[in-house]
Amino acid sequence: MDLLSQWLNYPAAIDRMLSIIGIEIHWLILQYVLGLPLAITLALLLHARSKDEKWNMMAKTMTKALGIIFAVGAAAGTISEFGLVVIWPNLLEAAGRYIFFPLYAEVFAFLMEVTFIYLLVFGWSKMGVKAKITLSLLALFGAWFSGALIMSVNSYMVAPTGIVAAYDPSSGWKYEQGFPKVLLVVPNDVVKVLDVEKLSSLGMEVVSSGENGVSVLLPSKIVSRLVSEAWSNVKLGESVLSLVVRSESLVDLEDLLVKDVVDIIVTNTVRSVGYTTVTFLSPVYLGSILHALGSAVTVTGFTILGAYSLLLMRRKDEYYLAGLRFGALLSLIAILAQGLVFGHILGVQIAENNPEKLAAMEGTSNSILSLGRSLGIERLMSLIVYGSFDAKLPDYDSIRVDYCTLDGVPAISDCRPPLLIHYLYYAKTGLSLLLGLYALIYVLLIYRGGATSLSLLRINVLTPVVAQFVSFLGWAVREMGRKPWSIYGIMTVDVAHTVNPGDPLSYGLIALIMVCVVLVLILAVWKLLYGPSLREVRP
Amino acid sequence: MIPQVYYIALVFGIHIVAVNLGIALSTVTPLLKRRADLSGNAKLDELARRIFKVYAATYALAGVMGTAFTVFLLSFYPEFVGVAGNITLVPFAIAITSILVHFLAIVLYYYGWDTFPRNLHFASGIVLALTSYTIPLGFRLVFSFLNTPVGLRFDGKPYINVPEALLNPTFAPLYLKSILGALTFGSLFIMTLAALSSTRGGPSEERSLYSLSLNAALISMFLMLLLGPWYAMSLLSTPMKFDNIFRSFGWSVSGTGGGIDLGWLFAVKLVLILVQVYVLLRLTAFKGDPSFSQFKLSLLATLAAALTILSGEYLNMFSQYPFFLANLPLIASQVPEPWRKILGRSLSLENVSPLSNDPSLLLVTAAGILILLMAVGYFLYVVFFKRD
Repeated sequence: MDLLSQWLNYPAAIDRMLSIIGIEIHWLILQYVLGLPLAITLALLLHARSKDEKWNMMAKTMTKALGIIFAVGAAAGTISEFGLVVIWPNLLEAAGRYIFFPLYAEVFAFLMEVTFIYLLVFGWSKMGVKAKITLSLLALFGAWFSGALIMSVNSYMVAPTGIVAAYDPSSGWKYEQGFPKVLLVVPNDVVKVLDVEKLSSLGMEVVSSGENGVSVLLPSKIVSRLVSEAWSNVKLGESVLSLVVRSESLVDLEDLLVKDVVDIIVTNTVRSVGYTTVTFLSPVYLGSILHALGSAVTVTGFTILGAYSLLLMRRKDEYYLAGLRFGALLSLIAILAQGLVFGHILGVQIAENNPEKLAAMEGTSNSILSLGRSLGIERLMSLIVYGSFDAKLPDYDSIRVDYCTLDGVPAISDCRPPLLIHYLYYAKTGLSLLLGLYALIYVLLIYRGGATSLSLLRINVLTPVVAQFVSFLGWAVREMGRKPWSIYGIMTVDVAHTVNPGDPLSYGLIALIMVCVVLVLILAVWKLLYGPSLREVRP
Repeated sequence: MIPQVYYIALVFGIHIVAVNLGIALSTVTPLLKRRADLSGNAKLDELARRIFKVYAATYALAGVMGTAFTVFLLSFYPEFVGVAGNITLVPFAIAITSILVHFLAIVLYYYGWDTFPRNLHFASGIVLALTSYTIPLGFRLVFSFLNTPVGLRFDGKPYINVPEALLNPTFAPLYLKSILGALTFGSLFIMTLAALSSTRGGPSEERSLYSLSLNAALISMFLMLLLGPWYAMSLLSTPMKFDNIFRSFGWSVSGTGGGIDLGWLFAVKLVLILVQVYVLLRLTAFKGDPSFSQFKLSLLATLAAALTILSGEYLNMFSQYPFFLANLPLIASQVPEPWRKILGRSLSLENVSPLSNDPSLLLVTAAGILILLMAVGYFLYVVFFKRD
């Protein structure tokens, strides 16, 4: 199977590539915006306890780094935001209609970050250590609160609240029964005009009923078709919906836009669940936020390790050594928590709620060289994911290619996620293991002495690059693995996309400028952090 | 008017004042720095650096408030954002690319100060200045489109014919007037800082900057006085806006009496402009080093300029209330269905998304904004006034 072609064959390939560049750059920067406030707080606490000036110096350098990186991150975030508006306007409209609250609240988290981070940066010499600790904690809260809000929206896109997946590890795929299904709360007024029997024959299950309406599980292929019709401005009379509207009501309703019907139902669903909580109830939220924060702290830890190793390569100094130890220990703790706890929680949640993606991640297909199969760890994976050697991993080849469409709408020729992510996922996992092992060995070496040989310092300098690459791969698996869905089970990528896309040349230009932003960031860090840090310590 | 509009107006107002100041400061900084380089004047160099730091603060404030503006817009009016996003790729692309390049230029200019070769540093300053003019180019194209949708086409889907949209009668005067308003405000701002420094016995470079800024403010104010009527005349193509602004003065295009009467706001704007003209003429007539009374007059003119920008933007915004697109009622009959229906509701400022129309959300927002403005106030105190 040509894996790249499979991925490119989903709609809007060039637009997706530009989005990957924009969002990955933002993600790369965010690692430090989320990780550095924690590292600063820890360094300041160490300084407060020991009165040792080197911790203060370290905290100051990291604060300066945070100031630079946050500014670039804010610029990259603005670009991503505009990118969403003009490339994925329909996705953004849906987000604004139904899951707007975390985005709305994020404005305040963002303002909090800006205020406290720059208060720390510009007020450093004007405040005592207790005030700095308070500010760093507030900056940490702002950054993590912001991350928690945005991750809730992203989690909703990976597995929306109320999704029921199409896989049972003991019996296999459940497409014949209409799964995956999406929970909707249909208002009673709407129920009155629907032919419930017909809908039940199509796989709809009534869960409960109350004054808010009737809670149903509707096959996602019907949901995605209705969403596609909604954003294509189809009228009810021309819609598949007309087949399940009572004939006596259809005459009055046939000029109604499907979008209006979808809006009434989804608004009622979100209102019933709670518009402030709906995204946080995504079944993959806990794992996602822990994994994202773990990733950020891991990357930050390795970056501190790499940065102080770079300085030690130029000059031996106790301050640099302290920085190196701090970075090594933080990296080790973070990567252990990330791999053994957070990654596992997320993996189990993905398996339960987005099994198609798990099948692609594990590469359970006969059309490719499956690394899990080759390494003979499929049963081990079953144990890790499902808690039993006997559980079956979802078989990729048995995923129905049309499970996301109803009679060819939306226009997706292959609903299966891209198998490319199998290799990305295994590369990520393999590199994470290596990094974790290296961090463990290195911390042991630190305590036994002899951890500052030139060759080890050189390896240390490479670790942040590897950690960032692992993080990049993780995000790629998450985002690419969701395709062809933009919101799993609800909206496909062709529906989310603009009706007036740009040309590849202008996209290329924007991508090039975004890459320049990263290069300028590296230049700024080099000029403002590396040089001054060398000058801080006299030979 | 509904409360959501006030929130949007608040953050947009702060954003636009900061942006206007930023346009002028990002123009002045490279010019001053170049002059300092060529003359070897270290004090002028330091002055340019200080102005650049103020610019960085205005850029951050504008960025934060701009983000808040777009998020409020998305949360309250998602369908408008969806429709706009589908058709405004080109104008937004101009703005996005410019924002990116501008940001690169800020970083390069800041880190290149005294480290880059002079010509290279100046080149990055030129890029900094130029992009501060191309960012509003994209956004003002959208704004003029929201006056009257010149270039809007339907061919199974809505799209914009960009060359045609550039010929929008309100685009050129709106853009040029905005730029000159920004330059007037910025010149007055720098003039005030220079006057303050001069009263505290600052270097001669600041007195020279005071005179230079005064002249720049005079010229840009004069040009703005010409462009104001041009924009007003261009609004004849947007009868609703024209009438809502000028009806009280006896001028009306449609001859109907409906709509919000914003004649009072226009009168306020005129008074603010007159204050600036009066101060500028008084200060021009004065010879010698600026004293405290000149500083007070400069400050008055600067505040008047900031409020002129604010009142001008609000005049532009509210005079088309309740429509995002002022000429919607005029063009509605030419729009094919179902777009007529979709545009009809998505372009109404009163059609707030049901979920975000929650009173408790609005209350919490008000409290949040208040707390954060206090935090920003404390931030400014620590950064600019608290001693080490």
